Amino acid sequence: MNQLIDRREALRKTALLMGAAVSATAIAGIMNGCKATPDLNYKPVFFNEDQARIISELAEIILPKSDTPGAKEVGVPNFIDTIVNENYEKEDQERFIAGLTAFEEDAKKTYGDGFIYCKPEDQIALVKKSLGAAIQEKKENTATKKPFILMAKELTMLGYFTSEPGATKVLQYEAVPTKYNGCIPLNEAGNGKTWAT
Amino acid sequence: TGISGGIAAKELTEKGLKTLVLERGRDVKHQEYPTATKDPWELPNANKPTQEDLRKQGVQARTGYTVNQDTKHWFVNDLEHPYTEKEGSRFDWMRGYHVGGRSIMWGRQSYRLSPMDFEANAKDGIAVDWPVRYAEIEPWYDYIEQYVGVSGQAEGLAQLPDGKFLPPMEMNCVELELKKAVKDKFGRAFTIGRTAHATAPLAHSPWRGMCQFRNLCSRGCPYGGYYSSNAGGLISAEKTGNMTLRPNSVVYELIYDEQKEKATGVKVIDGVTGEQTEFYAKVIFLCASTMGSAFIMLNSISNRFPNGFGNDSGELGHNIMDHQLGVGAGGEVEGFEDQYYFGRRANGFYIPRFRNLGKEKRDYLRGFGYQGGGSRQGWGSLVAEMAIGEDLKKMASTPGKWTVGMMGFGEILPNHENFVVINKNKKDIHGLPTLTFDTNLKENEFKMRVDMKNDAVEMLEAAGVKNIYSYDNITGIGLGIHEMGTARMGKDPKTSVLNKWNQVHASKNVFVTDGSFMTSAGCQNPSLTYMAFTARAVDYAVSELKKGNL
Repeated sequence: MNQLIDRREALRKTALLMGAAVSATAIAGIMNGCKATPDLNYKPVFFNEDQARIISELAEIILPKSDTPGAKEVGVPNFIDTIVNENYEKEDQERFIAGLTAFEEDAKKTYGDGFIYCKPEDQIALVKKSLGAAIQEKKENTATKKPFILMAKELTMLGYFTSEPGATKVLQYEAVPTKYNGCIPLNEAGNGKTWAT
Repeated sequence: TGISGGIAAKELTEKGLKTLVLERGRDVKHQEYPTATKDPWELPNANKPTQEDLRKQGVQARTGYTVNQDTKHWFVNDLEHPYTEKEGSRFDWMRGYHVGGRSIMWGRQSYRLSPMDFEANAKDGIAVDWPVRYAEIEPWYDYIEQYVGVSGQAEGLAQLPDGKFLPPMEMNCVELELKKAVKDKFGRAFTIGRTAHATAPLAHSPWRGMCQFRNLCSRGCPYGGYYSSNAGGLISAEKTGNMTLRPNSVVYELIYDEQKEKATGVKVIDGVTGEQTEFYAKVIFLCASTMGSAFIMLNSISNRFPNGFGNDSGELGHNIMDHQLGVGAGGEVEGFEDQYYFGRRANGFYIPRFRNLGKEKRDYLRGFGYQGGGSRQGWGSLVAEMAIGEDLKKMASTPGKWTVGMMGFGEILPNHENFVVINKNKKDIHGLPTLTFDTNLKENEFKMRVDMKNDAVEMLEAAGVKNIYSYDNITGIGLGIHEMGTARMGKDPKTSVLNKWNQVHASKNVFVTDGSFMTSAGCQNPSLTYMAFTARAVDYAVSELKKGNL
């Protein structure tokens, strides 16, 4: 892992030295068929930077930018760092990191490169594979503690849907409803989207 | 200054008495609720408790809903206010020390006890008979409901008398469907929750607004949409000019005068400075909450009362009751995809007690009611699904399946074996002794839980609910946050602490009107009953005072 990152960093730095003519992404692509190290848009407290990058990219795969903002834009990676750091019990923190490490190992084993360097379609395939296994595991034994990918998906969704863009653009939010109508046609319930709260 | 103290302050001052109101915690003025108008994204940690919060408030968090970022400041720091549970027993003591007490965070469900509840102990030969019957308290229920404002639907039920209601809140589509099945297939009542929310203007309290359907009640309501001491009784009391409210005044002892054979005042520690003071009064109302009042009385030792104030019977601190919960069922409802709701109703449906009524005899005494609600699922149901990416966004923005659930609130019998004592070995932050609890659910409660689970499943099945799940998570006494019974009222001073007027049998100028007076628990949420008895006790106390009897 460290070696890989070092290689990317070296390439990135080379690209910078070479000026704007050829981007780091382009060089990485030419040399490896993969991508450059993505930027981290916050300073992690709990995760190291490698872990934080994986979490950021994973969150963006789970809830990407479309006509509404993506997970990274609304601060989900930072949120996950905070929750795992401040709200998780030690045992869950350890399980989260172990799961994250295993997830990364799987990326390397399957695609020969870390998750953040994989092609978008490979990243999606990795997440779906991991999700499928986790859902199956929970189905077979409901007492199983939430596997990493489900923790990550839950935190991504929690952070996203409690953010202002998530709550107001993807869902709908009414701070002061002033009334309660219990049983009305969907299209008369605000804009018909799921209520954020 | 909780739900009972607020009413005591209002009634005493409105009847012209100069009243000193001692509150052990900090001051909280109406509308000064720090998180009341915060949007979800303005709360840290997605409103969830951190490990540091749980270290300080681990006991307060036992409910699973009390210690959140928006409400944790209303609950005590357990490290500063410890208590002890005797080995093998559990007691969940959720409390907040501030002006308004738990009237800020209460569940607001407001039900009357019924004639059969007041007769139950005598009929069953359990504990002691209530010295009061429904007819005596009925006008006081009327009075209190009109003051606090209770929204509800009249149903004409013997086991759950109607009140003076403000307009009821609406049920949603699946609740209406369930109501029909419960009524048609079981002949059971099913009503909208009766709740202390202003669903119409309250002419007598023009400073209170109406419920805005935000469902953020336990943060404190800046609109005064629901009743709290802060928005209600304390403002009424303030307006008389007769109230002096003194926060940070921790009452820890009643002062007893052997010559006069009554209490002359109370001892107080200042919660901030630690300074000790005494205050004197002609009449004392203890409204310190069930365990708070039990503590003060157990801690008031004199030659006359070597075992605690007014404790000639040996019942002080005993007969602790609550409502047992944590048992019920839920499931998914098919259809109604094209229907939804607008607004957040801080209320649910209520299925009044139907067991052991009339001639029916189960293998346990008394009964239970259900509180529940229906709603459409949000994004949470999509976590353990395959969807990711834009699909996930689309699915999350479409309201999910309808679900419906209900949880039982069951009566706990008064039992001398459920009790609390003073613990001199463990001190709180003020250096005062603390409490040790020895309480557990007993056989009658466990038998009742079987029905509480099965009946819920049966009703959901009959309504065609799918994927039904049921649960029975045994809880400690106290988790219902309806603790009561530590200074029960009764006819005989040998077996009870208070008489029918909430008056200490052996010290006529002391009245105890929080939940400690309860002789039995019923299965109805009790705050309305505390308020009604408080108003009645003040009326009696003032008339006795005028007659020179106190």
